[in-house]
Amino acid sequence: MDYNFIFPKDLYSEVRIEERYRIWLTIRNGKIENDGEYTEVGAMVRVFDGNMWYTATTNTLEDIQSQLDSLTKIATPDPDIYENEVVKAFEVNQDVIMNFDKESDIRNVPRSRWKEILDDYVEKCSDPEDKDITFRECYIGGEHEKKHLITSKGTDVAWDMQSCYFGFNYGFTVDGVTSYGNYYAVKMTLPELIGLEEKVLEKKELYLDYAKNAKDIDPGEYECVLAPMVTAMFTHESFGHKSEADFMLTDKALAKEWVIGKKVGSEKISICDDGQLLNHGYAPYDDEGTKACKTYLMKDGVLIGRLHDSKSAVTMGEQKTGNSRAQDYHKQPIVRMTNTYMEPGTDKFEDMIAGIKDGIYVRDVSNGTGNSTFVINPTLCFRIRDGKVCEPVRVHMLTGNVFRTLFDVDAVGDDYELFDTYSCGKNGQGIRVSAGGPSIRVKKLSIS
Amino acid sequence: MHRAKDTWSQNKSTFEFDEGKLVSFGRESNFESSHKIYRDGITGIYYHIGKVSDEEGYAKARKNLERERPYPFELETGTRARDKRERVLTDRELQSKAENCIKYLNETYPKFRCKIRFTGTEYDRRTVNDLGMDYRSQDYAVGISGSFKHCDSKNIDDGYFEFNMRDFDENVFRQVADDYFGQYEVMNKIPEEVILDVTYYGLVSFFSQHLNGEELARGTSLLTGKIGEKLFSDDFTLIHDATDEEAWFNTFWDGDGCVFENDKLVLVENGVLKTGYADKKTAREYNIPHTGPAYDSFSDIPGAGGLNLRIARSGKTVKELLDGRLCVVPVDFTSSGFNEKGEYTMLIQNSLLFNGEKVLGRLPEFKIASTVFDMFGKDFIGVSSDRPIYYDKQLLVRVNIV
Repeated sequence: MDYNFIFPKDLYSEVRIEERYRIWLTIRNGKIENDGEYTEVGAMVRVFDGNMWYTATTNTLEDIQSQLDSLTKIATPDPDIYENEVVKAFEVNQDVIMNFDKESDIRNVPRSRWKEILDDYVEKCSDPEDKDITFRECYIGGEHEKKHLITSKGTDVAWDMQSCYFGFNYGFTVDGVTSYGNYYAVKMTLPELIGLEEKVLEKKELYLDYAKNAKDIDPGEYECVLAPMVTAMFTHESFGHKSEADFMLTDKALAKEWVIGKKVGSEKISICDDGQLLNHGYAPYDDEGTKACKTYLMKDGVLIGRLHDSKSAVTMGEQKTGNSRAQDYHKQPIVRMTNTYMEPGTDKFEDMIAGIKDGIYVRDVSNGTGNSTFVINPTLCFRIRDGKVCEPVRVHMLTGNVFRTLFDVDAVGDDYELFDTYSCGKNGQGIRVSAGGPSIRVKKLSIS
Repeated sequence: MHRAKDTWSQNKSTFEFDEGKLVSFGRESNFESSHKIYRDGITGIYYHIGKVSDEEGYAKARKNLERERPYPFELETGTRARDKRERVLTDRELQSKAENCIKYLNETYPKFRCKIRFTGTEYDRRTVNDLGMDYRSQDYAVGISGSFKHCDSKNIDDGYFEFNMRDFDENVFRQVADDYFGQYEVMNKIPEEVILDVTYYGLVSFFSQHLNGEELARGTSLLTGKIGEKLFSDDFTLIHDATDEEAWFNTFWDGDGCVFENDKLVLVENGVLKTGYADKKTAREYNIPHTGPAYDSFSDIPGAGGLNLRIARSGKTVKELLDGRLCVVPVDFTSSGFNEKGEYTMLIQNSLLFNGEKVLGRLPEFKIASTVFDMFGKDFIGVSSDRPIYYDKQLLVRVNIV
């Protein structure tokens, strides 16, 4: 759709129009629990006068021009606004990238097709006679979004993105205690969600074993092997957030700690962020209109890059990276990760385990946080004894000091995976991201 | 055939400050509606973000009857309006008050880098149906939220705070700032007996899950079969309370349109488990009493949920509850949540030591553990009558260091 906005003179301004379609279906304990669908259209209008941003949102596209005009009235005009360093840094791009054609665009998939796939999974993965299972919930859904950014500098970029998800939650009640386990997958198109039964059932068996046999563990420090999904979260939480440059614009303590060129971890570790990959963190242009690129954050244990928006890049005198992202049209963009991953190494999983006398294998994870001490809340852990993965153990929390743990990684596996199942929260904004990595071995992590 | 309509509107103005400087002002206007048609035990629903005419809304809801979402219940009736607004600020008034607060912070605590948002939110929620039901709830509050860090810290952030006021009082902001930052550079030892002073919204979510009628009926709740038993402290009473003054932007009716007697449902009384809760659908499905509440859904039929849980206040202040002891106020922490056995772990990365009147300084990082039955049982101290530090309701509970 073509728009012809009249942008105010002497102010930088932009309009970000978003169209979002969502569909979801849940079958819980044999009955449809949720069945919903909607389309949302909205826009964020922003005006910058060199000192402050003025923003307004609307669900009525016809109101965009009037919103722009009303913000213009409260901003302070600056005839030299286009000489402002941040404004100068905004890229000018014109592009249209539509990744999903008539066949793959979920907006063209009838609801009955989603229901068929869901019913098929319920039938194949949820035997009603299975007495071990006391809770069953199977869900499927998707989201298609289209963004269109138009700026007073001449940027006009539009692109689309979609994701489809499927999950199965099981509850197993043993001696009055119900443990839950789940399988969850996110793909870009609906057909990719078909045929995952084996993976669902494999997860079900692992969690059933946990429910029946998990042992409590003495809190303390253990040598750990993290599975790819856990490494992915560790990478995102422990290191990724510290690479977001908006945290350290005028923060001398952090800037001193995270100097480019400093050795910050084991030479086996290299970490990247890449918004160009058509995965869950895909953002070919960020919400300031900067083209995405692959950014090495750590190479062979040395800090070599950071994630930037235009302001942080200008302030720190570094290259823009296309990481200015907003949750949706209600929010202003801030520095965010996209698809962030630790690159694979050459170590074999069996060799990592073989070297451990008494340790923990962390197989699956629910969530985590990252500050100087990072936290990972695992959902599935196993004891490692004499080089073998043994019985499941009940671990509440895995913690470690970021600065030490990055040096404590002494093996990096060749079994890399990128997970589209993550979302990330920062400053009240949740955003889709991907996180990836291989199995890694860490000399010491605190377990409780 | 019957018709019903839900509407929700929220207008927000936000002033955002970073490192003592106003960096953005934003206006947000949101409107959502849900048109519903009920016929022969099923309902068709049309959820729309933005404005839509009733003609179009009901036409699309009628079409959605083909989804056959079951709702074999009588619609509720009744009329009532509740307006919790005290003082709605203009953008200029909000800006002026916010700038006064930031000025105080800049002048008094220059060693702290803060990112703070002041958001004025006006809320209007209404449900009407063609049987004459007309319920409306209005509210306004200024929410102040932010993160902070000391200039010498190597952390991304050292802590967070968030509180709301219906009548924005700058003195409250100054008091909160004094509590957080006034003694921040004084490092203390962790007391031998650790008493946590925390807002308890995260902790009582255990009861939202385990008192859900479906979980109780299916045997997947840790509380299955325990209705009528004394499980917790004599002083622990847990209520779903739609009148809670510290609940923001909430309704007094639930997703089924039901209103509680005195707007309350007592779930635990003096430690005795009185009842679980079930919406109409769950009650029918599991043949259990309908108690409510149901969560409010604009896009589908309601289900069990939507609790606004409050622990009955003790009548004593934090200082009185402490009775000479000290407590720990976490300002940066991560919890594991309750696991399947009701066990709980929390990493407290940054916290303040408090005697009920004065913050004495900061504590080093440590980890604590407990269980839901200990927290609300033998280790439960109480919920204070006053609201120091958090400017919100807070729980005092003994925990173990691990």
